[in-house]
Amino acid sequence: MSTALLEVTDLRVAYGKIEAVKGISFTVNQGEVTTLIGTNGAGKTTTLRTLSGLLKPTAGTILFDGQALNTVPAHKIVALGLAHSPEGRHIFPRMTIEENLLLGAFLRKDAPGITEDVERAYALFPILGERRKQAAGTLSGGEQQMLAMGRALMSRPKLLMLDEPSMGLSPIMMQKIMATIVELKANGTTILLVEQNAQAALSLSDQGYVMQTGQIVLTGTGAELLTDESVRKSYLGED
Amino acid sequence: MRHRSLLVLSIALTGALTVTACGSRGGSKSGGDSASGTTVTIGVDAPLSGQNSATGLGIQYGVQIAVDDANKNKTVPGVTFKVKPLDDQAQPATGQQNATSLVADSSVLGVVGPLNSGVAQSMQQVFETANLVEISPSNTNPALTQGPNWASGTKVRGYKTYFRTATTDALQGAYAAQYATGTAKKKNAFVVDDKQTYGAGLAGIFKDSFTKDGGTIAGTDHVSTGDKDFSTLVTKIKSSGADMLYYGGQYDEASLLSKQLKAAGDAIPLMGGDGIFSATYVSVGGAGTEGDLSTSVGSPVDGLATAQDFIAKYKAAKYPGDYGTYGGYSYDAATAIIKAVASVAAANGGKIPSDARAKIVDGVQKADFDGIAGHVSFDEFGDTTNKQLTVYQVTGGKWVSVKTGAFTG
Amino acid sequence: MHTLPQQLANGLFLGSTYGLIAIGYTMVYGIVQLINFAHGEIFMTGGFGALTVYLVLPHGTSLWLALPLMLIGGAATSVLIALGAERFAYRPLRTAPRLAPLIAAIGLSLALQQAVHNLYPKATSPRVFPQIPSGPWHLANIDIQSGDLFTLIAAPICMVVLALFVRKSRTGRAMQATAQDPDTAQLMGIDTNRIIATAFAIGAVFAAVAAICYGLRYGQVSYDMGFEAGLKAFTAAVLGGIGNIYGAMLGGLVLGLAEALATAYISDIPGMQQLGGQAWAPVWAFVLLILVLLLRPQGLLGERVADRA
Repeated sequence: MSTALLEVTDLRVAYGKIEAVKGISFTVNQGEVTTLIGTNGAGKTTTLRTLSGLLKPTAGTILFDGQALNTVPAHKIVALGLAHSPEGRHIFPRMTIEENLLLGAFLRKDAPGITEDVERAYALFPILGERRKQAAGTLSGGEQQMLAMGRALMSRPKLLMLDEPSMGLSPIMMQKIMATIVELKANGTTILLVEQNAQAALSLSDQGYVMQTGQIVLTGTGAELLTDESVRKSYLGED
Repeated sequence: MRHRSLLVLSIALTGALTVTACGSRGGSKSGGDSASGTTVTIGVDAPLSGQNSATGLGIQYGVQIAVDDANKNKTVPGVTFKVKPLDDQAQPATGQQNATSLVADSSVLGVVGPLNSGVAQSMQQVFETANLVEISPSNTNPALTQGPNWASGTKVRGYKTYFRTATTDALQGAYAAQYATGTAKKKNAFVVDDKQTYGAGLAGIFKDSFTKDGGTIAGTDHVSTGDKDFSTLVTKIKSSGADMLYYGGQYDEASLLSKQLKAAGDAIPLMGGDGIFSATYVSVGGAGTEGDLSTSVGSPVDGLATAQDFIAKYKAAKYPGDYGTYGGYSYDAATAIIKAVASVAAANGGKIPSDARAKIVDGVQKADFDGIAGHVSFDEFGDTTNKQLTVYQVTGGKWVSVKTGAFTG
Repeated sequence: MHTLPQQLANGLFLGSTYGLIAIGYTMVYGIVQLINFAHGEIFMTGGFGALTVYLVLPHGTSLWLALPLMLIGGAATSVLIALGAERFAYRPLRTAPRLAPLIAAIGLSLALQQAVHNLYPKATSPRVFPQIPSGPWHLANIDIQSGDLFTLIAAPICMVVLALFVRKSRTGRAMQATAQDPDTAQLMGIDTNRIIATAFAIGAVFAAVAAICYGLRYGQVSYDMGFEAGLKAFTAAVLGGIGNIYGAMLGGLVLGLAEALATAYISDIPGMQQLGGQAWAPVWAFVLLILVLLLRPQGLLGERVADRA
């Protein structure tokens, strides 16, 4: 039986008077890939930003690895083992690739381990290694996505949250990113994935949640959701 | 786009900050004891903070002592005088605001001030309209009393409510030039002014008189009030070969200019008008000011037997500021107003009449008494009839009078 | 033109002080996009802090001994004021519309002026600042005053230390990250509140050094000295490209040189006699600023805006 690494219960988040997340509960199990799918504005990104502390919940609890995160400031959450690769990649454009990766390890003090992990990121994404001294802003969208993922991995997280990693990428680049997620899972990384590309995401997920206007409307394994009638209609573009 | 808006913002803010910097700073509390009978207020407008404030405070407390004496001696029976000091920060716009608020206070029957000629220009019309008498202890620009064309001989008095106990720069500048060429044997002067009504006017008169007396002008330049860095100007003066520097303006800039000039190794003296004749000039300028010269209106107040009681009171009260420059004249200006109030009240059965302000203007015009700094009476332009001038020199870290007299063509 | 070397030196000394103050504007702007208009007053309080240290030292203490203590006292005062302003005036307004912190800054600036004016003993008129009792030194054709000597030593040291700090230190890298993307910087584990406070503090230390340069040069400090100096330094920061620390220093030097050369030589150009001299120097400096911003709206080094926070 898998154990829960992250347990979210009745989470509510609001921007001023507008509630974007209206009481959701879900679980991310150790070693699994869990996916949140849903249309634009369903509250997926808001949920991730709340988990990593950039937004404060108005109600509900977030239990990560046995610890409540509700009042922990954002900069302390990464130290607990939760890394977030944000939507739109948000790499530091005027720093080099290497500097970006090193910032991912900002809180770590073990210099040899950091060097080792930088090399591991280059092994995972060889193109980054080739351009390590280049300003990150000059990379293509797909390369920036690799960098954002590599940077998030630099903290050696227990849970990696990826927000829309395939957004705006070419099909080939998208496949590469998805293959990387599979590879990371095989290495034992727990992943919480937010995707608009439901087909690709669900096919590699252990567990999936469908969000609609701030609520979770459907739950199931990746395979179950892929075959669900309403999911196929709404998110997989089938009539 | 962000940069464009930043540019607009920066320019807008520059403007906004300039305006706020000129804003009123408010005055300190007036010394008001609850009066029995009628209270008459004498307004004071002078720079009480920042630029020129040392001499400005000298004016405020000069008036304060005159008022205290009048109250103690019951100069006007049944009337208690008090002082309402307002800070103009040497800014004409602030001075005008102050004038308006003094006019609006019906207990104000006379005003002493301002310090700066430029500020006086902005206040004269306000007081004229309200028929409120204004006596400046320090304004020396001739145009204030004699109109803009005074130099060509067309003298017209613009404001019948404006008087001054200081003599004009027409005499002061000429007296300075006469001393510079005659006694100090200077031949080549560099002339700098601060573009203000007083400074530019005085520097212009000095320049003309100095040339007329046989000197040459090595160069001219202008500074802005508030300037602190004169290094470039100092380099210019040094390379001009001038044997003296004449400065038309106030002690704030003059002391730094002199100090920086001497520090750069140019040992020529700076000479200025009454605007630099202040103990603060020496204390800020330090050793660099040794040997510098100034002219000032009247006879040295420290040497006047009539002023000793005033000086003792000023020191005993530990008032801030420099009494030496205009304190005596301020005392006399306030006394002229008090005496006018006394005669107006006496003529009205001991009561202040409703049209007191207009009557007091007439009273001041007729003033004729011996003040602590000299005889007080006014000519048809509102100028003092006391034409005494004194040349001072910094000797041993103090202004010491070296020559007193009246300008004689 | 035989005075040219001296005039260039005058401009450089003046410009170094502008540059030191400009660092504070540019660092804070680079990180929180706030123009801290109270920075001129932070500079002023640094001057009074240093003066206070001098006044409490036993009379007759050698200035060479007193200077390091004055530096510490001045910097401590500035830093305290800057951190207080950040914590209590700007941080609560960080998510407010951008005009709000700007207005707060202007209010703070007036409040600090008034506080020193009313509370510091005898500060209603300029207070005499101690002088280094030696010099001037002659170097080729150039006179260097003792006050300038301090500037000449302090400004480059400050700049080099800052450049190394921003590029090499962990906090420096965190600053760059915060400047480029504050939210993501938090995801890296960077305490951005601490970094923003650090930027304010560094700006304040530089302002205090500049205030001592100012005091030593002009022999006085006054409650209103921050207004004009702050305005000039802000101009220097914009000229150099606001957000860029090298731009701030370069902008300061260019501004100082422009003022010196305009004072010295504009009036020698035929027909320009009336437009030259000391009083017109700021006008020429602003003409230069407007020209630079028309041709390069991002400022001289603006291409690298905010990357070297």
